[in-house]
Amino acid sequence: MLKAIELSKRYEDGHLALDSLNLEIKPGEIFFLLGANGAGKTTTINLFLNFIEPSSGSLFINDIDVVKSPLETKKYVSFVSENVMLYGNFSARQNLDFFARLGGKTTLTKTDYYNVMRSVGLQEEAFERKLKTFSKGMRQKVGLAIAIIKDADNVILDEPTSGLDPKSASELMQILVNLRNKGKSILMCTHDIFRAKAVADRVGIMKEGRLVMLRNREEFMQDDLEKIYLHYMQEAVMFDDINVIA
Amino acid sequence: MIWLIAKKDFLLNLTSPRFIIGFLLCVVIIPFTMIVSVDGYRNQRRVYEVDQAEVKKNWNEIKVYSAVRPVVVAEPQPLGIFTRGVSDNMGNQVNVRLGEYPLFPSGHAGTRDNPLLNAFFSIDFTTVIAILMSLLALVFSYDLFTREREEGTMKLVFSNGVGRVAFLAAKFTGLFITLVPILAFSFVLSILIIVLSPGVAFSPSDWTGVVLLFGAALIYLVVFILLGMLISALSKKSSTAIVVSLLAWVWLLFLVPDMAYYGAQSLSKAVPYDNVAFSLDEVDRAFEKATDERWEKVQKEMALDGIGHWNWNGGRDGYDEMYGCVYETYEFHRRLNTWREPERLASADKKWVYQKEWLDGLIKQENLRKVLSWLSPAEMFRQVASSLCHTSPSSYLAYMDQVRRYRESLVRYFESKKLFESYTYFTQQDPATFLTIEQMNQMERDGFFDTQNFKVPEHWDSEYYKPLNLSDVPVFVYQQPGALATLGSAMGLIAALLGVAIVVLIAVIAAFMKYDVR
Repeated sequence: MLKAIELSKRYEDGHLALDSLNLEIKPGEIFFLLGANGAGKTTTINLFLNFIEPSSGSLFINDIDVVKSPLETKKYVSFVSENVMLYGNFSARQNLDFFARLGGKTTLTKTDYYNVMRSVGLQEEAFERKLKTFSKGMRQKVGLAIAIIKDADNVILDEPTSGLDPKSASELMQILVNLRNKGKSILMCTHDIFRAKAVADRVGIMKEGRLVMLRNREEFMQDDLEKIYLHYMQEAVMFDDINVIA
Repeated sequence: MIWLIAKKDFLLNLTSPRFIIGFLLCVVIIPFTMIVSVDGYRNQRRVYEVDQAEVKKNWNEIKVYSAVRPVVVAEPQPLGIFTRGVSDNMGNQVNVRLGEYPLFPSGHAGTRDNPLLNAFFSIDFTTVIAILMSLLALVFSYDLFTREREEGTMKLVFSNGVGRVAFLAAKFTGLFITLVPILAFSFVLSILIIVLSPGVAFSPSDWTGVVLLFGAALIYLVVFILLGMLISALSKKSSTAIVVSLLAWVWLLFLVPDMAYYGAQSLSKAVPYDNVAFSLDEVDRAFEKATDERWEKVQKEMALDGIGHWNWNGGRDGYDEMYGCVYETYEFHRRLNTWREPERLASADKKWVYQKEWLDGLIKQENLRKVLSWLSPAEMFRQVASSLCHTSPSSYLAYMDQVRRYRESLVRYFESKKLFESYTYFTQQDPATFLTIEQMNQMERDGFFDTQNFKVPEHWDSEYYKPLNLSDVPVFVYQQPGALATLGSAMGLIAALLGVAIVVLIAVIAAFMKYDVR
């Protein structure tokens, strides 16, 4: 379970990146956080992973305070980032092995690694190939395999479909559904409204650091998510235009 | 966790082009440097043996005590193969005279036989290690954090339960275990070359010195790894970090030592040696003038019209050797020497005041240069190395102190044996055979000898006499400091180098605690 209470982040330059965010993602739930660039999505992730400290408010992973026990909370979370390069001179299996051990999985065998790589749709011939020869999509699959093999209760994904071909993106969504079915809490930040419509249980739209909209599947299917999203984005664009003119 | 990340870094480093290039550089440069150094040492050794044999030969031919003016030949230091220090600037011989305190060695310096080849750029093992290991440490560490950040792996690592200090320790360990084999390989290669080189013999104390040198090189390596880590922790981009690292490398390796050299010369002015030489000449002239006056005085006291010599060899520093002279001449010289030789010693004491002042000025300059160059860990390492290898300025000063103490023991020997007041100081002719002027003239008239046609008694010829038995005359034995004493002398610098490592480590931790891992 991922939970944020009145979470705010103001950077040293005074910019308020996140303003009183309240959010709870339950086990067996896929939550899509949508929003334009700079809306506060990545800041939210960085706070959950304790890459930065909140200015106020609190965060919990499996009811453990992230700020007070950062190392403890990381046992219960997997992370898939955008454009992860991983270690180019290691093979896919070696990368997987390294991060699995880092995540505390020390008894896994080569077969376990191969199975996970198969499950994310990686070709067999790529398992022992150096990662520097991989395409972005293939690397993203390895990144996902790393998140899966950790078998954490919570999975956080930051723009994982960015740069992926449609087939790979669809495969990724199927994997997320499988993870949800296993009871994982999934927080995914993206611009990809169509994938949100396809698999999200709940969707939140962020704008200027605030969560301006929160809908469950029934609600956003009924209200036409594209329309709502565009509405908020349009406002943002108009707001930006006004700023430029001013 | 620490070992896992360290092992990962080690494996990635092993397959990186920079490791292969670094390793190849060592494979090429170290043997070349060592072969040149070993050759230089063997050359010095050859010169030492020739000089020593000549000194021994001259010593064994001494027939009067006034010729006892030992020449001390400095034995080349085997550890100089590793660190030449100031040995290239120093001669290998010290003339121990009564009229002057020994100041610096003269004679053959540790240079090549052909002085025209001195323009050839050659560096010793320590310099190669200082340059190569610092460069490798920086090249491996400049992007230690920035690369992980740029490739997104840092976020992935920190999304697991890895603390920052553990991560730092792991990164350091990974790099350390990557570079230590290169350093160890360089030392092993050098040792192999030494072991396989004929004419190079290392004592157990020398081998201890090599081990200590390796220890100092390890600390030096750690300093530069930490320095690279600091640069990486303070940089957001690898491109910035590499530029800063290379600038820091040039600054620390090349600019600081030069600036320290010029800074010391500017801030601490030593008396020009021309002034010292002038003062020494003044003292010498005063001594010669006083000797001339004393000559006349003794001549008057003995009511002699002149001093005649049949067979007289004289030279610098009180050397006189004569045979076949009349009693009055021998007695004249004995009386003159009784005054002149102590006066020569007093004159040396007067000159020493000027020499000491000059030497103190040089030492002050050197100490200032040392302190200023502590801004560079490379220079600190070189100082530690030259201290461990007995080729530092301090080692030479300590050596010269020993030679000066030896001169004092020699003077005490002369005084205790009252040699200045004896005939044996300048002749071996038996005083019983001394003839007065009148006796000499009478015997010549009687035809016992004919000085005009060189028909003289055989005991008037120096060849008649055997060399003196000098077995009880003190000889110079260099007391080389033992391994513990050497370590003690280098300990301050080693501690300072460790201090730098600790300061940089604290700075790395402070910088990385604030490092933005995103």
